[in-house]
Amino acid sequence: MSQYRVSGRGRVDTSRPVSFTFDGKTFTGAQGDTVASALLANGVHLMGRSFKYHRPRGPVAAGSEEPNALIGTRRGAGRFEPNTRATVQEIWDGLQTNSQNKYPSLKFDVGAVNDAAYMLFSAGFYYKTFMWPRSFWDKVYEPFIRGAAGLGVSPTEEDPDHYASRNMHCDVLIVGAGPSGLAAARAAAVEGLKVVLVDESPEAGGTLLSEPQVKIDGKPAWDWLAAEVEALKALGVKIMTRTTAIAYYHQNMVGLCEKLTDHLATLPADTPRERLWRVRAGQVVLAQGALEKPLVFHGNDRPGVMLAGSAQTYLNRYGVLVGTRPVVVTSHDSAWYAAFDLADAGAKVQAIVDIREGVHEALLTEARARGIPVKLSHTATATSGRLRVSKIRVNPVRGGQVGSGTEIDCDAVLMSGGWTPSLHLFSHTKGSLAWNDDLTTFLPEKTPEDCVIAGASRGLWGVEAALRDGAEKGREVVAALGKSGASVAYAVADDRTGTGVSMKELPTDRSPGKAKAFVDYQNDVTAKDLRLAVREGMRSIEHVKRYTTNGMATDQGKMSNINGLNIASDALGKKQPQVGLTTFRPPYTPTTFGAFAGYHRGSHFEVTRKTRIDEWAAQHGAAFEPVGQWRRAWYFPKAGESMDDAVRRECAATRESLGIFDASTLGKIEVVGPDAVEFMNRMYTNPWTKLGVGRCRYGLLCGDDGFIRDDGVIGRMGQDRFHVTTTTGGAARVLNMMEDYLQTEWPDLNVWLTSTTEQWATVALNGPNAAKLLAPLVEGVELTEEAFPHMSCVECTVAGMPARLFRVSFTGEIGFEVNVPAPMGRQLWETLWDAGQQYGITPYGTETMHVLRAEKGYIIVGQDTDGTVTPFDAGMGWAVGKAKPDFVGKRGLARPDLVAKGRKQLVGLLSEDGSKLEEGAQIVFDPKQPIPMKMVGHVTSSYDVGTTGRPIALALVEGGHDRLGEIVHIPMPDRTIAAKITGTVFFDPENARLKI
Amino acid sequence: MLLIHCPYCNETLPEVEFAYAGEAHIARPVNPSEVSDADWEAFLFLRDNVKGPHYERWRHLHGCGRFFNAVRDTVSDKFLTTYEAGAPRPDLASLTERLK
Amino acid sequence: MNAPISSFASGPLVETSAARVSQSAPCGRLSLRARGDLAPFEAVLGLSLGGPIGARATAGETESIRLGPDEWMLHCPVEAVAGLEAALAPLYGSHPHSLVDVSGRETSFVIEGPRASELLTMGCPRDIETILPGSGRRTVFDGVTVILWRDAADRFRMDLWHSFAPHLLHLLETGSRELAAESL
Repeated sequence: MSQYRVSGRGRVDTSRPVSFTFDGKTFTGAQGDTVASALLANGVHLMGRSFKYHRPRGPVAAGSEEPNALIGTRRGAGRFEPNTRATVQEIWDGLQTNSQNKYPSLKFDVGAVNDAAYMLFSAGFYYKTFMWPRSFWDKVYEPFIRGAAGLGVSPTEEDPDHYASRNMHCDVLIVGAGPSGLAAARAAAVEGLKVVLVDESPEAGGTLLSEPQVKIDGKPAWDWLAAEVEALKALGVKIMTRTTAIAYYHQNMVGLCEKLTDHLATLPADTPRERLWRVRAGQVVLAQGALEKPLVFHGNDRPGVMLAGSAQTYLNRYGVLVGTRPVVVTSHDSAWYAAFDLADAGAKVQAIVDIREGVHEALLTEARARGIPVKLSHTATATSGRLRVSKIRVNPVRGGQVGSGTEIDCDAVLMSGGWTPSLHLFSHTKGSLAWNDDLTTFLPEKTPEDCVIAGASRGLWGVEAALRDGAEKGREVVAALGKSGASVAYAVADDRTGTGVSMKELPTDRSPGKAKAFVDYQNDVTAKDLRLAVREGMRSIEHVKRYTTNGMATDQGKMSNINGLNIASDALGKKQPQVGLTTFRPPYTPTTFGAFAGYHRGSHFEVTRKTRIDEWAAQHGAAFEPVGQWRRAWYFPKAGESMDDAVRRECAATRESLGIFDASTLGKIEVVGPDAVEFMNRMYTNPWTKLGVGRCRYGLLCGDDGFIRDDGVIGRMGQDRFHVTTTTGGAARVLNMMEDYLQTEWPDLNVWLTSTTEQWATVALNGPNAAKLLAPLVEGVELTEEAFPHMSCVECTVAGMPARLFRVSFTGEIGFEVNVPAPMGRQLWETLWDAGQQYGITPYGTETMHVLRAEKGYIIVGQDTDGTVTPFDAGMGWAVGKAKPDFVGKRGLARPDLVAKGRKQLVGLLSEDGSKLEEGAQIVFDPKQPIPMKMVGHVTSSYDVGTTGRPIALALVEGGHDRLGEIVHIPMPDRTIAAKITGTVFFDPENARLKI
Repeated sequence: MLLIHCPYCNETLPEVEFAYAGEAHIARPVNPSEVSDADWEAFLFLRDNVKGPHYERWRHLHGCGRFFNAVRDTVSDKFLTTYEAGAPRPDLASLTERLK
Repeated sequence: MNAPISSFASGPLVETSAARVSQSAPCGRLSLRARGDLAPFEAVLGLSLGGPIGARATAGETESIRLGPDEWMLHCPVEAVAGLEAALAPLYGSHPHSLVDVSGRETSFVIEGPRASELLTMGCPRDIETILPGSGRRTVFDGVTVILWRDAADRFRMDLWHSFAPHLLHLLETGSRELAAESL
């Protein structure tokens, strides 16, 4: 064991050595160590380089608030994570870690030249320096800044871990398993409430883990803790460790991130790395304790300078002396106890330097008993030592004057500027804070949530106070939940309470402009930067924060906010509450994207819906495209065919003989009830009253603004029953819109809507041979022009299956849509496929469907319309029932702007040179006009693989309907294409081919 | 993540089950053709941007499917009440009184 | 999870010490919508349609669950669908209603085992324990609308539209294994 490991101290198991690497070198720690405690046990303080100045840094804290000791961790192949806090990463055999922000090595870093140029890199440096010349920004400044700045490097491999999420509901959620949290848990659990107690540490206990000298109810703290944890479990309390409450959302929903495997050498099967819990609690108790504040003085960031409370934690919890010759610098009593503990563990404490003129006599007595020199009314003005602190300069302060300094040799500096309640989650609730002058800090005041805050997180100090407050707050939430709890008392001995003063920068004899006194370690913000920001006109703390980046790093200002506020308010000459605190935002600690994604990655990223015929398509080589949540067969390439080849072949086969198409994804809604026809009249632009049973009609749906929302063929299956189809992507939206009107505007209508999208599998047959194929298979109707004309529908039997047969065409060919109950879809498809072989039946996908319909000028809602197109703009005024007294969109269509001249209207376009136009390309009337040209429309659909022998396009063009025959121009990067405006029908305008 | 009381299910449930549906009590005119351009524009496009209690609509999309109305304080994000579609606008004073 | 549901094997789709998921046999499913006096419908069906949303009733091989103020889902044997349609049709004139066969639209998973309700917490934000055995609810699971029938404390049926089944089964499978791997 090294000289820094103290036998008999700490909760680590030194009989179980653990070896891991740091920057390629192997180190040995003990079971229970973090990377930081194990490295400190090996005498290593230097763990990283800082963000801006690349200054050497070591751990300043022992918990998740650590700003400096950020490392990369590699947990086996593919498992790399940057910016892990060395103070929370537990070690295990084989863990690989490395330092960050160093080049070429941690001990010699060329980026540290930034440090020598410190005077240049002050607050607002980037804003001022890189403003000019403007053209330099993209090519010079930004690459330089991006290269120099940043924390760690992103992993390059795909994350092999999986992540999980769960919802949980409980009566009481307690955040923080320190003394106040434990006491609150007991108070609630004994009343039979469902209690969840979470803590970010690997074990419950909080501050008790660092204060073994305390006795509770006559037992040593750790014995009491072990028994209490067992007792709480026996009461049914769910205790979750390695679980961070990252965010507090509305109405007592708290997000927890549980880390399950980062501490394990062997990954258990089927276990996620992290799990995000969404907890909904009746009452929340925040018992997150307090965070120690650093002191702000020149050189307060040198490795070996750390928080006194953290040094105490390293000793008492991990059995590690952070130095054998420490100096303590403090403005608070708590650091004195750290000095005593380290002295008792064998360290030679060089001095206790306290800024205060006097402290409690008991402290002086204890220091004297240990032979520790005490310097009251002293300040620290500098540290030295290249990669580790070796000296500290301390000066007396008398009547505001800083006297001459003396240097003290040391190997560690333990500092304490007092304590800040952890108010992050409380702030997430929009809780208000109140400034407390005595404690020089903000304390929680009011929150709109059903939430209480207990213990040190509301400024109470000491184990006894925390236990008492936890029990009391526990009783409060028990009462709020309608039960009455008995009060519980805890007898506490050897508690350490104390007081202190809160400081801005420590007084110094140095020129303030040259002092590197750090406030935000992670973002390299100094006291000088904050004062400069105020001098340069930043008045609001929010502006100071953004100008200096104080508190903006991944530690979210856990250490820097209050010191920053004290300094900024001093510079502004205002009291702290007048300056105010910046807002804490979730997450409390950095959280992986994996945790937020949960199960939704890879094949489970989002829902992929498939039809009953999808599998057949896959087996027949279909290429697929996503349409909404569906994946649809796009085209069916044969060996060696390009997409264009395949679509051209599919188009030709359909026009010449027979094509088969899976239309199952079309939205379907069954409209049933005595008022069904009235409802249809009100919803759709078309009139429905005269549509006979057994007939169908193309329906157009507008919004009340008059713009097209959806379309589809609608069949009247019975007097009071319509079979409505919608676009694939519009199914849910249309049903929602219909329900909205039905439930809230026309609740008097006796009609109901049922989604039948997935009730039916729909197979479309198109082509001159469609009727020939189908006729022998159909029972119940004769497929003749007379018995079953175009736009008919009937319930019948197809190949022995109950079916709804529609005679409709979206291709311009003779067409049928056969709907059968979905489970029979595959069977129907295969039956038609087999029977169709004699006609060379060809399966086609959505692309061919798009081409064939464009040749006929049929619109695709959402492609040829964009939410600003009326039926008249689209040339479909024939679908508007003008005689109807009202329908959704009727009044909208009469709006002045919708009847004005010059609206963009749907037309056909044929390029003069026979080239294919690009969908989305903008259109101009005069190609010679100066740039920026006036754009008068755009190409909405364009194909060159169809059956018309030339490329065709649809476009929206200003006043297009009055410009048939005119030439417009489509400027492209390399040339401008001229195109003639035509009608939208390019093929069989007489509809002669629809006849059987 | 709000909790919303569905007046039809009579249960208070997570927001995830619901869909927001805009401002409430914007009744579609019975005879739109008789409405002036200005009034129709107001019906279509003009909505209050209330700081404080806001009358709004929700749909219990993944539940009973019903649209209903709510009064939500846009500052605190708290629901003051929810009520069935078609029910009259509740008296604000009594709602805020209850909160005190 | 890209396997189509038609390729699901018979028998349990997922089985761990925590939970077992299987696809229930095909059944008839009818969406019934009606308002006002429910007594004539109850008389024909032989079961009660009243009670709060989520209430269930059973008569012989037909069971119902109330999904909304005017909405019920009826489950029955496949071959009983036509009979129910015929039995309710005469009511239409005096008691207008909508009866739509949705047997082809949906499928059901049976989710059972000691940790079945915890398995559901992976995709369902509502408190599963507020769905009492013998009742049910339409709710959401992993973003998809489903109907949960709680048949016993540790046994649920989940009705869902067919095309969502592979996605939800994937989560149920991942979750079952995750729960089984947990040391309690």
